[in-house]
Amino acid sequence: MADSICRTLRDGGLEGEHAPALTIKDRISSPLGLDVFNHVLAQLSSFILAGKSQSRGLVLVALTRSPSFYLELLKSGGVQLNSAQKWIHILDCYSDPLGWKDNPSRHEKANTATDENPGTVALFRDVKDANKLFCSVSELGKELLGPIKGRFSVAIDSVSEMLRHASLTSVASFISKLRSHDQVSSIFWLLHSDLHEAKIAAVFDYISSMIASLEPMIHPSNGERLSSENRSLRNENLSRGNFSVRFKRRNGRVRQMCEEISVEQSGIKFTPVSSDGQAIGGGPLPKVQFNLELSEKEQMDRASVVLPFEHQGNGKPIQIYDGRRSLADTRTNTVHVPTEASEAADPRKGEIIYLRDSDDERPDSDEDPDDDLDI
Amino acid sequence: MAATKTRVSSFSRNVPATLAPQIPGVKTGPNGTAFVSSGIPDLDRIVGGGFPLGSLVMVMEDPEAPHHMLLLRNFMSQGLVHNQPLLYASTANDPKGFLGTLPSPVTSRADKLSHDDEPVEEKGLRIAWQYKKYFGGSQQILNSQGAMENKHEYGNDFDVRKPLQRQFITGQKVECISLQDCPDLSALRDRCATFLAQFPRKDGSISSVGRIAIQSFCVPECSYFNREWHMLSFIKALRSMIRSSNAVTVVTFLPSVLSPSFSKRWQHMTDMLFSVLAIPDEDKDLAELLTGYQDMVGLLNIHKVARINTQVPVILEATTFSLKLRKRKYLALESLNQAPVDGSSGTSYSTSGSCSSTTSSKPGSLDF
Repeated sequence: MADSICRTLRDGGLEGEHAPALTIKDRISSPLGLDVFNHVLAQLSSFILAGKSQSRGLVLVALTRSPSFYLELLKSGGVQLNSAQKWIHILDCYSDPLGWKDNPSRHEKANTATDENPGTVALFRDVKDANKLFCSVSELGKELLGPIKGRFSVAIDSVSEMLRHASLTSVASFISKLRSHDQVSSIFWLLHSDLHEAKIAAVFDYISSMIASLEPMIHPSNGERLSSENRSLRNENLSRGNFSVRFKRRNGRVRQMCEEISVEQSGIKFTPVSSDGQAIGGGPLPKVQFNLELSEKEQMDRASVVLPFEHQGNGKPIQIYDGRRSLADTRTNTVHVPTEASEAADPRKGEIIYLRDSDDERPDSDEDPDDDLDI
Repeated sequence: MAATKTRVSSFSRNVPATLAPQIPGVKTGPNGTAFVSSGIPDLDRIVGGGFPLGSLVMVMEDPEAPHHMLLLRNFMSQGLVHNQPLLYASTANDPKGFLGTLPSPVTSRADKLSHDDEPVEEKGLRIAWQYKKYFGGSQQILNSQGAMENKHEYGNDFDVRKPLQRQFITGQKVECISLQDCPDLSALRDRCATFLAQFPRKDGSISSVGRIAIQSFCVPECSYFNREWHMLSFIKALRSMIRSSNAVTVVTFLPSVLSPSFSKRWQHMTDMLFSVLAIPDEDKDLAELLTGYQDMVGLLNIHKVARINTQVPVILEATTFSLKLRKRKYLALESLNQAPVDGSSGTSYSTSGSCSSTTSSKPGSLDF
């Protein structure tokens, strides 16, 4: 299922549609967000390098970790960085986000990774201005693509970091401008949900088309004293968790999937949920009635039911049934022959044989009251 | 009884001359209200006629699904088809582009027959009565075809696959505003005021009717997003302007991005409140519970129905309806129907099954 996220990012968006956007949400009780971000980044990079994705390059906005960290990460993942500047550009918002350092070039020399890969990293010193950030990102993207028409993906290291410096409105408009940019193929970012108000998380849920949230496997209850058991449980949560994703699909429906995630020395593993999953997506159905309406076929069937007295009065002499079979017997022989015949003991039809309780009963009570139903 | 008496009583019935609407698309209702169609005939029927003139309608969006656009599009198309001026505001840079996605009305009679047949069936209650044959001459069911035809003029079905013809869109009747251009809501309010000045409400005749559609009013990208009191006072001003004019406004907004108290204030401010909900995809439990799950696009909840000029509340039989696209073209609302419960699941007392009607393999939380 993490694969399906990566595949969706890889496939990008259709013409005229907003680019698919992924939010990776984590929280203090399940702080595996950075690992998931790294994983998605590595996957997307491998797709880009293999040429399987819609986008031909990646622009990474690095706010929480330095660009060299990412270059090392990619190298350790087995990605060749020789011609890195052809497919990845990193916007360095980590070294000097607010422009405090007077001499930025002095700091850059200390960075060996960027020396190896010149042109990959661009320094950005004004994180408070989201418009400027947008311009830089789109310029970097255009540089990546060069003269050939194509698309690039964008990864934002941490939107929580951006929200420290810029207002929610500007960050939201930054992302939506990127999504509607016709050269952006897909975009993903990391958000630490407990650093912000619920409203902010709701805004990012609204903007994104896929929401991946990390939840702890064992929920630590608040106020528990730190005993050795709890400590081991919490340590568990640092390496394992529940990974659930909500996809907003094109048909307007929401798909929810769940997996277990475990982070080890070797890397990240996603396994399908082992325990029995609870009912997902609760109930937007408060009041559901039984079906009291008829479908078309049922209406036709109802129309064709023959009701008891309907066929009388249509030209044939009207029979008044006065409760005594004997009169009808003597008067007519023709019209009611079918019904008379059925009264005769027909071995195939059911017969009710009864014994009279006493001779006091009136003769009329011997009759079958259903006889006057004239079907 | 009056027909058989020959003498004239001292009571003479004063039948008020019904105000025949001079313009198509407006229907008079009880208590002196006039309705315009919402663009969805099922919705008109459910809320008792349509949207009353002078009301504010709000639709709460679901962040996960764009179904509010279906409602908005039908509303806008209905207005354009009836030649009612329209003011449309959205956050897109180019709101005119949205006009190209409006659906076109259906004119063919063949598709309407399904509407006509149902009420005729119900009127013809077949009674199998032993003595009916003595009374002779079955009573003909009044041909209600004539009444049906008038209704077609009031509200149309819209084919979501066909775009609205250009002749309806071009012209002086449609104004578009981009909310991004309005740094301040007072500019938007002035635009609305000038638009609504065309339809003042005077006693008696209705000369023209207008519609305002505001899409995604509180989207986070707007510059006024943080000023919640400001947005609330805009809504209040809009409502008071609407009350004194012959127009209907539909505003869609997203309650989850507002603070909860403001979201409640907005909901109280409006005359009619709907919310759209997304449904989970490939949910086996839901598929078993509801008939027609496969065709459902989403769910519509009706929270408030406008009651202007009356104190009598409207109590709906059901408040949740499913949005479906009938024949993939026409938006329809259907009430939710429970599927026949599988006899093998749950409610037998011999096993310790759960009470819920979902699959019997998983014991529910209630075990009786």
